[in-house]
Amino acid sequence: MQTIIPSTSDALKSLLRADFSTQWRNRRAVILTLLVPVIILISWKGLVDKLGGAYVLATCITIGLNAIGLMGYSNSIARDRDKGVFQRLRVAPVPSWSIMFSRLMVQIVMILLVTLVVFAGGYYFDQITITPLGYVLGFVAAFVGGAVYLSLGQVIVGLIKNPETVNVTCRLVYFVFIMVGMFGQLGMLGKEVGEAVKWSPYGSVNRIISGCLKPETWNQQTTWALLVTIGYTIVFATMGIKWFKWNSRS
Amino acid sequence: MNQTSSDPILQVEGLDIFYGAFQAVKKVSFQVKGGEIFGLLGPNGAGKTSTLSAVEGLLPPNAGSITVAGYSITENPLYARANLGVQLQSTSFQPELSVAEIVRLFAGIHAVTMRKDELSAFLANIKLEDAAGKRFNQLSGGQQQRVSLAIALLHDPPLVLLDEPTTGLDPQSRRQLWERMEEMREKGHGILLTTHSMEEAEAVCDRIAIIDHGKVIAVDTPQSLVEKHRNDPEVVSASRKGKITLEDVFIGLTGKTVRS
Repeated sequence: MQTIIPSTSDALKSLLRADFSTQWRNRRAVILTLLVPVIILISWKGLVDKLGGAYVLATCITIGLNAIGLMGYSNSIARDRDKGVFQRLRVAPVPSWSIMFSRLMVQIVMILLVTLVVFAGGYYFDQITITPLGYVLGFVAAFVGGAVYLSLGQVIVGLIKNPETVNVTCRLVYFVFIMVGMFGQLGMLGKEVGEAVKWSPYGSVNRIISGCLKPETWNQQTTWALLVTIGYTIVFATMGIKWFKWNSRS
Repeated sequence: MNQTSSDPILQVEGLDIFYGAFQAVKKVSFQVKGGEIFGLLGPNGAGKTSTLSAVEGLLPPNAGSITVAGYSITENPLYARANLGVQLQSTSFQPELSVAEIVRLFAGIHAVTMRKDELSAFLANIKLEDAAGKRFNQLSGGQQQRVSLAIALLHDPPLVLLDEPTTGLDPQSRRQLWERMEEMREKGHGILLTTHSMEEAEAVCDRIAIIDHGKVIAVDTPQSLVEKHRNDPEVVSASRKGKITLEDVFIGLTGKTVRS
């Protein structure tokens, strides 16, 4: 008997089909991820002139990215690990990286979707328009920023094995990020908190997205924010991969 | 296949597994041949799961070797796993996926081409043709086991690992599963079965290894194990009805203490 192993592309095709079907069946969670940025777009209508369209869009995208990395990705990984889904997939003749790659592809599509919805919602609800270059760079910045939150989600599932505890921790981190991030950046929590938020994963991502949406405002501070964002991603991803266990019982 | 017909399908040789300083598996060796049902029995924490995880390629051994159909699980993991079908204890499928989607996923990652009519025939074979669109968690326990076993056999692997497959099944489903296992044996599959049911081990296993404290303490046919140990004082004292059973031998060899 000849031993046949699937080609990487065929294996990935099957994994992607299954992971996208799973995401489609979880439409309610997807809608909730999109809903929060849209609600902010609508409720901040009166602040667009004061804060600037690019800042409003950047804040909404940042919040959407937070939800993807901290609520969607980490919870699905924690649940499937606990149920033995990964164990079952890993005894198949496919490399382990392809299983995680497929999961990440779903999240990349989610990042694309959130960014699109925020751009469309910004135009529809708040009449925010930016240059074509701004839109293109906005997508690029969203992927860079999304990587921070996905890797942070990876750290959480690396540190915590119980799916319920992962869920609670992610909600808490998400809540702290968006509340302290939004209000801190607006200077409502004092100067020190404002400065800390500026260099936090929330603030640095927000600033690079804002800078990309309005490229003429990009300055040295934005470059530093980009470097800090990349630094966060490298540190979180390294920790998350190092600590991650495929089996929640091991 | 990377072996001759007389070679064992699974060869475990001098397997050692450590968790930090704790040695969970100590120099475990056994073979499973084609057309054989081999039972791996042991109390909780004896080293069964660690051994099984190493055979599946999920846990790297600290020493020793494991070959599946002639392929080393550490040196050629993809080829070794391609010759392996696994049924796990846990649910282990994404609950959002339908039965048909699960079958398609596992066909894809095992390089099995499955057309629509072949998928229908596959489901009809496990009497689940009407359940194609149902989510896995909407199936009964017996139906879930049938899907799980069928997926383990989807790519016709020479070696099948069954991890406590009858846990939680009613007697009818359990008997049905035993018959499936016997059919698999007739077709030449080698089966490595872990179970806590001595009745099951006695009913279906050709050979048994009893593992305790990480070591294999006995390997033989169920009948020979009973014959060999029927006069051991520990076995006699474990006997409840005068007649020595495999369970008495198991308790006699591994002790009466309940393991956590």
